[in-house]
Amino acid sequence: MSTTEQRDLKAPAGPSDKPQVVEREFTIKARSQRQQIARRFLHSKQAMGGLIVLALLVLAGWVGPLFYRFGFNEFDPLNRSVGPGVGGHPLGTEGLGRDLLAQLMRGVQRSTLTILIAVSISLFLGVAVGLLAGYYGGWVDNLLMRLVDLILTLPALVVLIVVASNFPQARTAVGIAVIIGVFGWLDLSRILRSQILGLREREFVEAAHALGASDRRIMFKHLIPNTLGSIIVWATLAGATTILLEASLTYLGFGVQNDISLGKLVSDGVSAAQTRPWLFYYPGIMLLIIALCINLIGDGIRDAFDPSNKKVRA
Amino acid sequence: MFFFTLRRILSSILVLLASSLLVFALAVASFDPIAAFRTRQPPPPPEFFQNLRDQYSLDDPFFVRYWSWLSGVVTGDFGESNFGTPVGPELMQRLGVTARMVVAAMVLAVLLAILVGVLTAVRQYKPEDYFFTFLTYVLIALPTFWFAALLKEFVAIQFNDLVGERILYTLGEESPGIALYGGTAEIFWDRVGHLILPTISLAALSYAAWSRYQRATMLDVLGSDYMRLARAKGLPYRRALLRHGLRNALIPLTTVVALGVGAIMGGAVITEQVFVWHGMGEYLLASIRSSDLNPVLGWMIVAAFFVIGFNLIADLLYAVLDPRIRLN
Repeated sequence: MSTTEQRDLKAPAGPSDKPQVVEREFTIKARSQRQQIARRFLHSKQAMGGLIVLALLVLAGWVGPLFYRFGFNEFDPLNRSVGPGVGGHPLGTEGLGRDLLAQLMRGVQRSTLTILIAVSISLFLGVAVGLLAGYYGGWVDNLLMRLVDLILTLPALVVLIVVASNFPQARTAVGIAVIIGVFGWLDLSRILRSQILGLREREFVEAAHALGASDRRIMFKHLIPNTLGSIIVWATLAGATTILLEASLTYLGFGVQNDISLGKLVSDGVSAAQTRPWLFYYPGIMLLIIALCINLIGDGIRDAFDPSNKKVRA
Repeated sequence: MFFFTLRRILSSILVLLASSLLVFALAVASFDPIAAFRTRQPPPPPEFFQNLRDQYSLDDPFFVRYWSWLSGVVTGDFGESNFGTPVGPELMQRLGVTARMVVAAMVLAVLLAILVGVLTAVRQYKPEDYFFTFLTYVLIALPTFWFAALLKEFVAIQFNDLVGERILYTLGEESPGIALYGGTAEIFWDRVGHLILPTISLAALSYAAWSRYQRATMLDVLGSDYMRLARAKGLPYRRALLRHGLRNALIPLTTVVALGVGAIMGGAVITEQVFVWHGMGEYLLASIRSSDLNPVLGWMIVAAFFVIGFNLIADLLYAVLDPRIRLN
């Protein structure tokens, strides 16, 4: 909009006691980068939908058991393997008479724990390796990245199986989370390294160097904040990968055993698909919805961090 | 191009060597072939353990064991399993079974990914795009084994009932014993019937990821200057799309597909378990459960060989398709 037009829209200038009211067709508001990102995210229907559904499910998993009349480990000997609605069990029971809904809520609890632990470990390792390799370059970079390349020549699932077979005592939601976390950082370190490589050569890093900033200060004040977008996106999407991996490991017999997790419920349901389909469908659909929501949120965050995204006026 | 190829082949061999060291270290640290006898009651005599240690040469230094294993593998000798059967022939026979599923799944996934990726890019933000995007998101969020079980337990039966004939099989890689009496065509169609469902379930995940990738690449290409030029100089839309757009949009997919080989081999372990195939995955799981060192080593080195091999092929293919790489 040109300046002349803008002037025309203003209230007619003249001597007046009252403060002048400026009328425009639209208002312009200065928004910080963070506000722009938040705004783009909040305007994405898929991401917000995913976030709301996920929040409700997680809330139900943690708060629901307080109000629900069946415990997850409570046996109902009169109602073993009954279908949905029988004996007051809205989703039915499994072979020992435990309520499926109560077990699903417990599974959501344990699986959120699994995700948080696994992703935290991977985040720490991946950021550390990517940062060191990208910032220092040279032999550090070579050594770390060749190691990552090497581990990636083996199918991830098989590496996890082999490692998990060493720790039969770690067949809980937490134990499996640690194993997945320790091997889950490889792609993050590659993504971060390539970004740091680019950022390292930029003027603001040079300026920080010239001002005498220490390596640590440059890393944590200048480099990490600039890669925060990719780190957050990766962490979100890794959440979905984690529960899917946990489910696969459990199905193959190297995952959760003496514990309840979503993956464990889904795996147990597979063998009952024909005879007790509710044990097959409900846990599977639950896992699907959670992973789907996480992926939608992750993609929403990625779009929000993308400055070329013009879908929402920032 | 010759020196480029040579360099790539040599570096791949080096990577494979390093990978074999990693595989050996991982497996040796994980599996103790005499563990099963340790917990036995009453315990076997100590001489028995010493005999076993000598037999598996467990007391040798790490690199001596590594070297004797590696020199065996290079000449095609994968050692013996704990039951005394040679690993090599069994592994190769099972590789043949698994390869059917893996190759079919890769071909299916690549074809579908290209088709859907291009379609959704050309029809961006139209109903087709939304439909396939939704489908892709669902497939990515599904556990492979659950999807496979869904196909096996419900789709197969419904389909067979609908056709009134048993076309889709849900167990095994072929009807037991058909190789003894069936003709070539009969065996072939029997195997195809056994192959369809495992292939679909194994292809689903890779297809989903690759079609998103193909869509993004195709969108990039559609917005490029040379596409505008092709249209400006009067080429019909279809011709510009296929000759100028698609050809360029296919190049990046080669790398992604090559990187996905490892994931497919891992996925095949799951699919084999669901459909009870007697392939490499079954062998791997059984060997891990019984702490059987040599079969696990064999499986992992074969997997590493294929992953590195496919990456080599993708590198070379990329250089052929995109001259900027090899001239660099």
